[in-house]
Amino acid sequence: MSDSHDLRDLVGEDAGAEELERLREVDALLRTVTPPPPEIPASLTRSVLDRNVIRLPNRRRAVLAVALAAALAALSFAVGRWTDDDGFDARAAVVMEATADARGAAAVIRLGERDSSGNWTIELEASGLPKLRKGDSYVLWLAKDGEYAATCGYFQLRAGSATVRMNGAYRLKDYDTWVITAHSSQDSDAPTPWLLKAPVRA
Amino acid sequence: MGAIAVSVAETDARLIERTGRGDRAAFEELYRRFARPVLGMALRQLGDNGRAEDATQETFAAIWRSARSYRAERGSASAWLYTVARHAIIDRARQRTEAAAQVPDEASAEAGPAEHAESSWLAWSVHSALERLPERERAVIELAYWSGLSQAEIASYLNVPLGTVKTRTRAGLARLAGILEEVRE
Repeated sequence: MSDSHDLRDLVGEDAGAEELERLREVDALLRTVTPPPPEIPASLTRSVLDRNVIRLPNRRRAVLAVALAAALAALSFAVGRWTDDDGFDARAAVVMEATADARGAAAVIRLGERDSSGNWTIELEASGLPKLRKGDSYVLWLAKDGEYAATCGYFQLRAGSATVRMNGAYRLKDYDTWVITAHSSQDSDAPTPWLLKAPVRA
Repeated sequence: MGAIAVSVAETDARLIERTGRGDRAAFEELYRRFARPVLGMALRQLGDNGRAEDATQETFAAIWRSARSYRAERGSASAWLYTVARHAIIDRARQRTEAAAQVPDEASAEAGPAEHAESSWLAWSVHSALERLPERERAVIELAYWSGLSQAEIASYLNVPLGTVKTRTRAGLARLAGILEEVRE
């Protein structure tokens, strides 16, 4: 912006003298300081928030939740493949780990057969997730190098838990992490913290 | 048009106190408010994106660790955050093999340490205040002052009438004045 600009050009002709005087001080400051950086890189935000998640004190509840989920999964597989009440034929199970944003949450992903398109059928059992705002939902997705890569499906809890079927991308080896986050219906671009995560073992 | 009341749901001081008690939502709000000012200061002083991002990470790790030690009666929240950021950035600068303990905020042969500190604090204050503006006001102000675009070009870029650009600029500047006055108190 030109140094010679008139503040009136910026704010319009109807600003009074007193108001203009007040604005002139801010105007001068803005012309003195260097511009702020462009938007913060998403990778930096994730690094800051994840790093501090790891350092949060009292992870006992999260550890207990993971241990409980692991025990349930182990029990389910102790006698071989698990066929649940709805007839879902699981070939493998992945126990998800709760982050500090969802202490007490637990989830198990069961991988079933491939569907007609070659995608994996998935049954997700989740519980204890933090409450959502009205209209929002949770989403299970796949990440690669810490970034969003593919959506598996959306779900909500009923009475604190949910068992839902969805599909996973047919080439799981293209991804490295299963992630559950909240999904805002108001602002789909809003950054949301990871609530549960697990490594992809294709 | 009269002065616009500054509406801040939660003060920075309160957010730091809550962070000190392990409140993650408060920490995230602090990050939202101060990530750009911290990264901006780090970029000016370190001159390198990668190291500036590292310093920003270290700043917020330090805020998380030391928020419990913050005492509102000893100074403003913004000044406390500025000091934490400054230390993290200086620590990062000291790690340079060139042994430069600190790179000035702006290249200038004339300005001494006091002037650098003053300009650094000014930039911090203005950038922090900008983060508290509604997005549509912040956008027009940043475009007006740092993009080189005219008001008419900004209107075209944002696809809004010229009058709207002026109204938002005026409201944003007034709000900014209020926030900066609040910080000085």
